[in-house]
Amino acid sequence: MINTRQLERNLLVVAGIIMLNGILAVNLAHSVLNYQTLGAVTFIFAGFMAVNIVLCKIGHTGDPLFLPLASLLVGIGLIIILRLKPELFMLQVMWVGVGLSAFLISAILAKRLEQIAYFKYICGFIGVGLLLSAILFGVDIGGNKNWIIMGPVRFQPSEFAKIFIVLFLAAYLSERRELLTLATKHYGPFVLPHPRFIAPLIAVWGLGMLMFVLQRDMGAALLYFGLAIIMTYMVSGRSSYVIIGMISFLVGSVICYNLYSHIQLRVDIWLNPWSDPSGGAYQIVQSLFALGSGGIMGSGLTYGFPTMIPEVHTDFIFAAIGEEMGLIGAGAVILLYILMIYRAFRTSLLSLMPFSMMVAAGLAVSMALQTFLIIAGVIKFFPLTGITLPFISYGGSSIVSNFILLGMLFSISEVRGCDAK
Amino acid sequence: MRNDMNDLATNIRKVAFGLLSLLVVLLFYLTYIQVVQSDFLIAHPLNRRTLEASRMIPQGMILDKSGEKLAYSKKVGESFKREYPYGAIAAQVVGYDSITYGRSGVESTFSRDLTGNNTSIAHLGAVSHLLTNRSGNNVVLTLDATVQETAYRALGNHKGAIVAINPNTGAILAMVSKPSFDPNEIDQQWKHISTDKSSPLLNRVTQGLYPPGSTLKVMIAEAARKEKVIDLKEKIYCEAALKIPPDYSLQESHLEAYGNINLEEALAVSSNVFFGTLSLKLGYKKMENIFERFGFKRSVGQELQEVASHLPDFSSLGDGDLAQTGIGQGSLLVTPLRMAMLASSFANEGKIMRPYLVDKITGLDGSLIKTFAPEEWLTPTTPQLADEINKMMVRVVRNGTGTAASLPGVLVAGKTGTAENSQGDSHAWFIGFAPADNPQVAIAVIVENAGFGGSIAAPMARQVFKAALQ
Repeated sequence: MINTRQLERNLLVVAGIIMLNGILAVNLAHSVLNYQTLGAVTFIFAGFMAVNIVLCKIGHTGDPLFLPLASLLVGIGLIIILRLKPELFMLQVMWVGVGLSAFLISAILAKRLEQIAYFKYICGFIGVGLLLSAILFGVDIGGNKNWIIMGPVRFQPSEFAKIFIVLFLAAYLSERRELLTLATKHYGPFVLPHPRFIAPLIAVWGLGMLMFVLQRDMGAALLYFGLAIIMTYMVSGRSSYVIIGMISFLVGSVICYNLYSHIQLRVDIWLNPWSDPSGGAYQIVQSLFALGSGGIMGSGLTYGFPTMIPEVHTDFIFAAIGEEMGLIGAGAVILLYILMIYRAFRTSLLSLMPFSMMVAAGLAVSMALQTFLIIAGVIKFFPLTGITLPFISYGGSSIVSNFILLGMLFSISEVRGCDAK
Repeated sequence: MRNDMNDLATNIRKVAFGLLSLLVVLLFYLTYIQVVQSDFLIAHPLNRRTLEASRMIPQGMILDKSGEKLAYSKKVGESFKREYPYGAIAAQVVGYDSITYGRSGVESTFSRDLTGNNTSIAHLGAVSHLLTNRSGNNVVLTLDATVQETAYRALGNHKGAIVAINPNTGAILAMVSKPSFDPNEIDQQWKHISTDKSSPLLNRVTQGLYPPGSTLKVMIAEAARKEKVIDLKEKIYCEAALKIPPDYSLQESHLEAYGNINLEEALAVSSNVFFGTLSLKLGYKKMENIFERFGFKRSVGQELQEVASHLPDFSSLGDGDLAQTGIGQGSLLVTPLRMAMLASSFANEGKIMRPYLVDKITGLDGSLIKTFAPEEWLTPTTPQLADEINKMMVRVVRNGTGTAASLPGVLVAGKTGTAENSQGDSHAWFIGFAPADNPQVAIAVIVENAGFGGSIAAPMARQVFKAALQ
């Protein structure tokens, strides 16, 4: 039987070859070999292998797919960033390096996940605090008012907050799952527990609405709100929570739509981008042009014109992949996410404790929601929301927080690894 | 406790299934965008990608029928720029090519051939970069640069249009629209060119709508003969004006009374009273039918981007308006191309060939990639009737209103027109063909607000005939 760490190593080598191949392709298309970029990629590859070796040494038996899937996504991200914004490439390499360390640390720390449950309120406060800090002190960078600048450091708190919110919700909900299941109060057709048991949920909902209204950050609002509803549903199995949640969110959205012109604009652009293709809908229309021009096979790396899309290296990086790598490349990216999220849910289901089960499921939900919202926005399936594509988009906060998230999942999967029997 | 864990697992499984399905739906939608919608998105006029891509390779040349360069790519730094040696002379036909303002003319309609983007290997993605020769194909037009230049000079400083076609094939030999613009300067001069009130960007040959005036009388003459409302010897007494009850009066242009004249004489002097009378004899049903027969209600195809003629609603026409339509006035509006095609039907034994501008597509090495064969479009009339009208049109040039179009040693057929219009002075028209006994070129000339067709348009036609027959 093949050792899981050996399997992981083999898969990492495959991902490394794909990454190197892409970097070489971008290099050769410009007819110059930039040894710096090749060195950087080797460094990243070595980093992943080193993580594998460390995990091996300390005897981990976690899911062997997480790390290779992440390295493939990171590789695709690096290739496309080198192609779109070469000046940001080295920074992104650095962030991936930091992310890998964060992965190791969180994978080791999360071994004591159960203890974190005792500090659930602290987690909750940190999460809410991070979100509030963005709301109160947020600075507008590139249209998203969710950056915090502290001296030389700037980061997006909402990327990290999601981990703490998941921890808090998982702990809070798994403790109260009987109360939520055996609801006592009847409100018309709906059955709900006593208000004080769902107060924290209402708080998260309120926070979501606040972000929606004050920060104009529809994506983060949807993410946190969806997270709260879905996690409550998972614990209670009651669809009335989902229905009430959806209704309250819809009501909130309708009010916001009528009150705020920028939300109207986003929705109108989504419904009919062709009515104003060079004005408000410019970005989304350019994104569709990129995807359509890419077709099935793509234009080939560096042969497309993805830079016609404003902010292509952050929000619209998926459209660039679709143009230059075609449906084959963009579809592969979606499949990688599906695989990663599937393994995350599997981790949850294989877990023995309700708390770790909920943490893994919550992290899987947040990853799925985030991936869905940003890709759906870029391909005009859903109104556009400005959130990052996990592991691919440029940006330190996004890379590091997603590696932390993955480290936790890895650690939970270790409790009962895939070859435990 | 165990049961409880099972419930939790069941719920998580449901959520997992739901969320993963959402991502699968995204995969399907992405496939829809990149496969089904792909062609629409690539061809969308706001998508500048093909335009940008075409800058990276030398695009094919646009050549006239004898290989004269009308457009070619010149390397400027990293990318290529289009050069137009004939400048304003063929601007509306050849078109322009600008990153900012897009393409027009042949540059636009044949852009896929010129950029070499029509090859099936373009769908191979990255692999195609290894296989393509990285340059476009040449587009060879039916245009004759000498005739084009002559027509351009002949129009002088007037606004107007001249189109010359080969009546036997439909090949367009010259297509001039004035005022024009210099496609070499399109980026620098765009603001001026695009906002100029005299519309230099408009190709008046295919997109200018004008009342045809008396040039239409050749068609009414044919119809009168076909419908047998008159025979060749029959005379009609023409006063200076035709009184049409209840209170309308159709006048001769100089209030001249021609007296007793037959059809041939009436066409030679262009009698309004005579043709007004014929129109009334034909009636609105038959009149509508003539326009139908000569193709005024049909499109000649996409390539020339012609605008549709504007015909009156015949069933509701009063007698006065019907008589007006018969002399090419009223609400009737047509393109110069249509009038050249009308003339060509009498030159080509009653057949109208489909007008075409592109003769063939050739590779870089001159290899033939695609040819466009002449195509019969309509047969509005019989060879006998076409011959009758042909002879009458010869008379117009020999000793009628069109003498200024005559050439020594060549039998020229024609018809002049002076079309009244709501925008100021009358438009001068001439349509015709030469040599009348073996037609090689059919023509339509319109000079906006220039007065009499016989004195303004006919001499221009003469110059074009001369150049085309050389």
